[in-house]
Amino acid sequence: MVQEKCRLLSSEQVAPGHWVLRLAAPAIASFARAGQFVHVRIPTTYDPLLRRPISIMLPEARQGNLRLLTCAVGRGTRMLVETPIGTELDLLGPLGTAFPLPGGPELSEAKEVLLVAGGMGVAPLVFLADTLRGMDHHAYVRGLFGAATEDLLVSWTEFAARCDEFYVSTEDGSAGEQGRVTDTLVAQLERGQADVVYTCGPIAMMAQVAQMCHDAGVACYCSFEQRMGCGVGACLSCAVPAAGGGYVRVCRDGPVFAADRLDWEAILDDI
Amino acid sequence: MTSERPDMSVQLGSLRLRNPVMTASGTFGFGVEYAECVDLERLGAVVIKAVTVEPRIGNRPPRIAETAAGMLNAIGLQNPGVDAVIAEKLPELASYDVPIIANLAGESVAEYVQLAERLTACGYVAALELNISCPNVSHGMMFSSSPELTGELVAAVRRVTDLPLITKLSPNVTDIVPMAVAAVEAGSDALSLINTLLGMSIDVARRRPMVGNITAGLSGPAIKPVALRCVWQVYEAVQVPLIGMGGIMDSHDALQFIMAGASAVAVGTASFVNPAASVEIIGGLEQYCCDHDLCGIGSLVGVAHS
Repeated sequence: MVQEKCRLLSSEQVAPGHWVLRLAAPAIASFARAGQFVHVRIPTTYDPLLRRPISIMLPEARQGNLRLLTCAVGRGTRMLVETPIGTELDLLGPLGTAFPLPGGPELSEAKEVLLVAGGMGVAPLVFLADTLRGMDHHAYVRGLFGAATEDLLVSWTEFAARCDEFYVSTEDGSAGEQGRVTDTLVAQLERGQADVVYTCGPIAMMAQVAQMCHDAGVACYCSFEQRMGCGVGACLSCAVPAAGGGYVRVCRDGPVFAADRLDWEAILDDI
Repeated sequence: MTSERPDMSVQLGSLRLRNPVMTASGTFGFGVEYAECVDLERLGAVVIKAVTVEPRIGNRPPRIAETAAGMLNAIGLQNPGVDAVIAEKLPELASYDVPIIANLAGESVAEYVQLAERLTACGYVAALELNISCPNVSHGMMFSSSPELTGELVAAVRRVTDLPLITKLSPNVTDIVPMAVAAVEAGSDALSLINTLLGMSIDVARRRPMVGNITAGLSGPAIKPVALRCVWQVYEAVQVPLIGMGGIMDSHDALQFIMAGASAVAVGTASFVNPAASVEIIGGLEQYCCDHDLCGIGSLVGVAHS
């Protein structure tokens, strides 16, 4: 983890309300792993006060750049996407846990993987797909991407280009299958071709994905989001309920959790 | 210009700090969480997150909400309990050359006494800070709302420890001065001013309170004028050193607290915004002393009163 001053190189609107920021962040880009995030300070103001946690969509390690996908939902993120190009932003990162990879200790046998993205949850999965492609004996990657409408399939080409197979669904049927991404997941799990599922998206969606994987006996890892304070595990603000009682910290114990580590019922109660 | 570096050290009871900047309890974990990006050995002291007798799992989320130039938190004193803190947390922090100040939170005089005895005996701790002002647990502010109870508690803890004793007071009272006087008369060596202000926020879209605990403690730049006023009032009423805190973001803010009467300052919410804030404030204070030909920071304490 480092605190790095990063020049904003570009800010591109990629969907209604969604921007991709490119930053010169050589230190963070050099050791970021898929699933990790950066904590970004809103420049030159104490109002809003806190940093914004944003997951890393892609490090361009050779150029030393980072790509971040952000949704301008509130005042802070709006100020961030309106920051003039060339401004130096204060980033803390890379923070948190990464997705465990096939061939690693948790997933030594995994050969076929499913990536399940909902809306802007695609960001860490683009990075993961990119990482998987770069591995020596890379696993077969199926990407599933769902959103409400076609124009909210944010950066789908980036995702699709890094998957061996790619499936799209929209709730209104404007692109791909009409329905939810979890409908597509049912069919995939029934075929029994997934050794591990990685997911990121709205909490209700991830809860469903977690349940389906649990029922199918497939390992599942999800990338989480929560209002956050320090970002380094000190303030305990970003707690989410853990399976078996107590809480885990999204910033330090996560944002990537094994799905069975969380108490989904309590999590759904809190939203 | 003086050629020698100014003396930044401060005295809190029998504890001498190399500089007046410490971390505020609850904002810096057990120190080591920040070790990758903050040089802990530059700090005057690390004040650890509140310790209770038994482990506490904390409040239900959401635990934090942003407000205008501030934030609300209601963590609920989540901590692994005093035994685990001594066994698992303090040894690692103690490997750094920085004084550790333990923050104690109990539900009764007996619990505070028990915590003080354990933390004094463990050998890792340089001073005790009595947290009698947590707004986020039931009874959290019971002691800090009554001079009699404050005095009774401080006197009981005083009997079981030789460590410097700091009492952390709440701004959520009609008049903070009688609480300060009671704590000092009962043997408190220093006072921490202030804990968070009790507040809340409502999520209009969900038609629910923003924070799971409903009410929460307000911190950040928004509360600085209130904190500064508390330091000012208490400085005029007691003789012990004061540790000022509440919205300190930079050395200019820290100087205001020192001029109002604080011998030391604690940096809290600012660490979330800028992990380097505390170290930058130390540098800023030293620079101020150099720029103004001061031989030490101590000569600034309370100068705004004269």
